[in-house]
Amino acid sequence: MRFILRRLGFYLIAFWASITLNFLLPRFMPGDPVSRMFARSQDRMQPEQLEALRKLLGVDDRPIWEQYAGYLQNILTGQMGVSITRFPTPVTEVISSQIGWTLLLGGTALVIAAVVGNLLGILAAWRRGSALDSALPPVLVFIGSFPYFWLAMGALYLFGVVLGWFPIRHAFTDGLEPAFTAEFFGDVAAHLVLPALTIVLVSIGGWMLGMRNTMIATNSEDYITMAEAKGLRPGRIMLRYAARNAMLPSVTSFGMGLGFVVGGALLTEVVFAYPGVGYQLLNAVQGLDYPLMQGLFLTITAAVLLANFLVDILYVRLDPRVRSN
Amino acid sequence: MTQTRFLKSARIAAAGLAVGAMLLTGCAATGNKSGGTDAAANASAFLTIPREDMGTFVQNFNPFAPTVNPMVQQSIYESLLVFNPAQGNSVPWLATDWKAADDGKSITFTLRDGVKWSDGQPFVADDVAYTFELQKKLKGGYEYLDGVTAQGNKVTFNFNKPWSPALYDVGQLSILPKHIWSALADPEKDANAKPVGTGPYTEVDNFQAQSFVLKKNPNYWQPDKQKIAGIKMLAFAGNDGANLAAANGDVDWAPQYIPNIEKTFVSKDKDHRHYWFPPTGAMINWQLNTTKAPFNDGDVRKALSMAVDRDQVTKIGMSGYAQPADCTGLSGNYETWKNTQVKDNCTWTKHDVQQANDLLDKAGYPKGPDGKRTLKDGKPFEFKISVGATSSDWLSVANVISQNLAEVGVTAKVDSPDWAAVVAGYEKGDFDSGIVWSANDPSPYKYFNTTMGSASVKPVGTKASDNYHRFGDPKADALLSDFAAATDQSRQKDIANKLQEEYNDVAPVVPLFSGPEWGAYNDTRFTGWPTQDNPYATLSVRAPTTVLVLTSLEPRK
Repeated sequence: MRFILRRLGFYLIAFWASITLNFLLPRFMPGDPVSRMFARSQDRMQPEQLEALRKLLGVDDRPIWEQYAGYLQNILTGQMGVSITRFPTPVTEVISSQIGWTLLLGGTALVIAAVVGNLLGILAAWRRGSALDSALPPVLVFIGSFPYFWLAMGALYLFGVVLGWFPIRHAFTDGLEPAFTAEFFGDVAAHLVLPALTIVLVSIGGWMLGMRNTMIATNSEDYITMAEAKGLRPGRIMLRYAARNAMLPSVTSFGMGLGFVVGGALLTEVVFAYPGVGYQLLNAVQGLDYPLMQGLFLTITAAVLLANFLVDILYVRLDPRVRSN
Repeated sequence: MTQTRFLKSARIAAAGLAVGAMLLTGCAATGNKSGGTDAAANASAFLTIPREDMGTFVQNFNPFAPTVNPMVQQSIYESLLVFNPAQGNSVPWLATDWKAADDGKSITFTLRDGVKWSDGQPFVADDVAYTFELQKKLKGGYEYLDGVTAQGNKVTFNFNKPWSPALYDVGQLSILPKHIWSALADPEKDANAKPVGTGPYTEVDNFQAQSFVLKKNPNYWQPDKQKIAGIKMLAFAGNDGANLAAANGDVDWAPQYIPNIEKTFVSKDKDHRHYWFPPTGAMINWQLNTTKAPFNDGDVRKALSMAVDRDQVTKIGMSGYAQPADCTGLSGNYETWKNTQVKDNCTWTKHDVQQANDLLDKAGYPKGPDGKRTLKDGKPFEFKISVGATSSDWLSVANVISQNLAEVGVTAKVDSPDWAAVVAGYEKGDFDSGIVWSANDPSPYKYFNTTMGSASVKPVGTKASDNYHRFGDPKADALLSDFAAATDQSRQKDIANKLQEEYNDVAPVVPLFSGPEWGAYNDTRFTGWPTQDNPYATLSVRAPTTVLVLTSLEPRK
C-alpha cells in the first residue's frame, strides 16, 4: 500500500509538470491563432475583423501567470474552453466525438500486435533456429522499417482500389447511421481492417523481437533446466515457466502503448481518412488552437500516466521483487 | 496469473475496449433520426463533393464561425448579388437591381419578390438591414457604413463618405433571417444546427463526423433550378485522400489541387472527366520588405523581377496550372480592368537577365570578381525568401526564384519554417522577402490599396495584416481616393488605368502569377458544369459563384 501511495504522489507531480508544459509550449510558438487564421483564410477575411475575432476567441494579452492560474482552474473544474479552429464548438465536444474511433483503431491494433507479436516471440525463442525463428524476425523488422505512410498508401491502393476487398475511406459507409445492428458493426469492422492491419504490420516486429530476446535469456535459467529435468510437458514449461518470467518488459511496453493510443495514429487517419484525434491534434497545432491543443495534450498525458500507474500495480502483482523495494 | 489467463483477460479487455469505443462513438452520433438505410440507398442521387482540409465535421452551420462548414455560404445563405470573375459580370440574386447615388454616398438595392426562407417565412428588407447590423456588431469592419435603411422592397446603404468599393462588399454578404437570429441569446456562439436560409439546399440531413447531406430547400424561390436531390459532403484530412476519391470516381466534383491531373484523373475516363483552372484566383506576389535596403530601391525590385523566369516558376512550381503575371499586377480575376497599354508595353515582369544585370549595375550594386553582387555598404547582396514549410508548391516557386537570382549574382536563400513563424515575420515587418496572397475582389481597388496605399502601411514592429512589404505611395493614394469616390464604371476604369500606370512605375511588389481556381468534375451523374466555353461560374466550390453551379446542374438522364 505504501508503495502505491508513493507512486501516486510521484504521478501527481508528473501530472502537474506535464500540464504546465502543455500550457507553456504552445505559447512559445510564434504568432497567434487569429493571425494564423487570417493567413490561412487566403484573403477571404477582412483585416478589420481581426480585433473582434481576437476578443471573441479570448486570445488575450493578460499576463502569463494570470492565464496560467485560469488554466489550472479550468483543468480542475473540467472546463476546457472553446476550440478556436472549430469555434464555437467546446473542446470537450471535439475530443469526445472523435476519441472513440481513435481508441477503437489504436486499441485494436495494439492488442493484436502485442498478442500476436508476443506469441510469435515466445515460439521463436522456444524453437530457436527453426524456420520461424530465423525467417520471421528479419522479415517483420524489414516491413516495420518501411515508412508507414508509404506502406499504408500501398496497402490502400492494392487492397482497396485495385482488388476492392476493403473500403478505402472513413470509419463506416457514408450515409449509414450508427446503430446497434450487425450490419453497422460489420461495416465498421470492414473499414477497420486496412488501417489496423497496417499499424499491426509495422509494430509487430518490435513485439516479437523483444519477447524473443528476453525469452532466450530466460530459457538458459536454471529453473528451466530443472523443469525439464522434472519431465514437465514442454508447452507448460514454455508458457508457465519461461514466458511468464519473460513477460515483464512486454507488460511495460503494453502499458506505454495503451497510453499513446490516445494520441491517435496521425498518419493512419490521414491516409485512410479515418476519424480520430490524431488529425485533430495536427490541425490544432497548425492553427495555434491553444484550447484544443491543451485539451488533447491533457487527455494524452492523463492516459499515459494512468496506463503507467496500472502497469505499476500490475507489476506488484507479477514481480514480488518490486514489493520488497 | 498464468500466461493463458493473461491472454484470456487481454482478449476480454480488447473486446470491452472495442465495444466501449463503439458505444462512445455510437452515442455521440445518434442525434439525427432520419432513415439511415434510405439515405444509403439514395446516396447515388446526391452531388458528392470532398472537403480536403477538414478531417471531420462538427454540426455547426453558423456563418460567423471562423472555420465555417462547407456550403454554409454557398448553398444555405445567399447574397444580394453574385460576382462571376470568369466573365467579370455581376448576377442579380436576392436583389434584382441596384443603384448608387450620384454623390456616391449610398447604394440602393431592390429586392426580389417572392423569396422565402426555408421555413416558409417571407424574405424582407428588414432581414438585410438586420444582417448588416449583426455583422458589424459581431465582426466589425464596414467602417464606411453609416447605416442601413429598409423600406418596402428597397434597402439603402448609407456611407459616411463616397465609397464605391462598397457595392461588392455589401452585395456579397450572406443574408440571415432576422426572425431566427434576433431570437438567439448569443448568435455568435450558437451552433445553428438547423439552419434556415434562402439557398437552394438548406436541409441538413444524416449529419455524421465525416459526411453530411444538404437536401432541397422546400421553399426555394427558383424551384425549377433545384434539379439535384441534394449535396453530400465528405471529409478528408488531406489532398491525397480526396484525390484518391476523385480518381476512383467516388465524387462528382473535385475542387482540390490534383497533381498531374491529365494522368491521375482525366485519363481514367476521358469522356466524363474534365477540369478547368481559370486564372481568377488572387495574384501571388513576391513581396520585398521595402523598409530594408536594397528593397527600398524601385530599380532593384524591377531588376530582381526581371531576373525571375516566370515561365519556369509556373511550369515547375505550379505544374503549369498558373499564368505568369504582367506589369499591371492584376490577376486574371480583373481581365476586364486591365490597362492594355501597360500590359502590352510590359518590361519588368519579362524574363531578361541582360537587362536585370544592367539595371543592377546602374543602380549601384556592382558584381564582384567572384560574380556575386554587393550592396552599397559593401556587404554581399544576400537575403532570405520565407515560405511556410507545408506549401510544397510555393517552396518550389521560391527555389526557382533563388536559382534565377543566382544568374544575376544575387544570393537568395529559401527559408521554410512553419507558416506560423513565417507569418509572424511578415506581420512584424522583420522579414526580407516572402511569397504571399493578395487581395482578390471584384474591383481592383483592394489590390492596389493593399500593395501601394499609404493607409495600409504600418510601422515596423506594429502588426500588419496586409501590405506586409510596407509600401505607400502618395500618388497612388490620390488615385485610390478618386476611385472610391467615383460612381460610374467608366470613370472607375479611367482611374484604374492610371493606378496600373503608377504600379508599373513604382513596382511595389514583384507579381508572380495569377492563382488558378482549382476545379475538376466527373459528369457521369450530373451535367451542366461551367467550362471555359460556358463560363457562367468558376469551378470552385468555395466561391460565391458556387450557388450558380448548384442551380445549373441536373442529373444525367
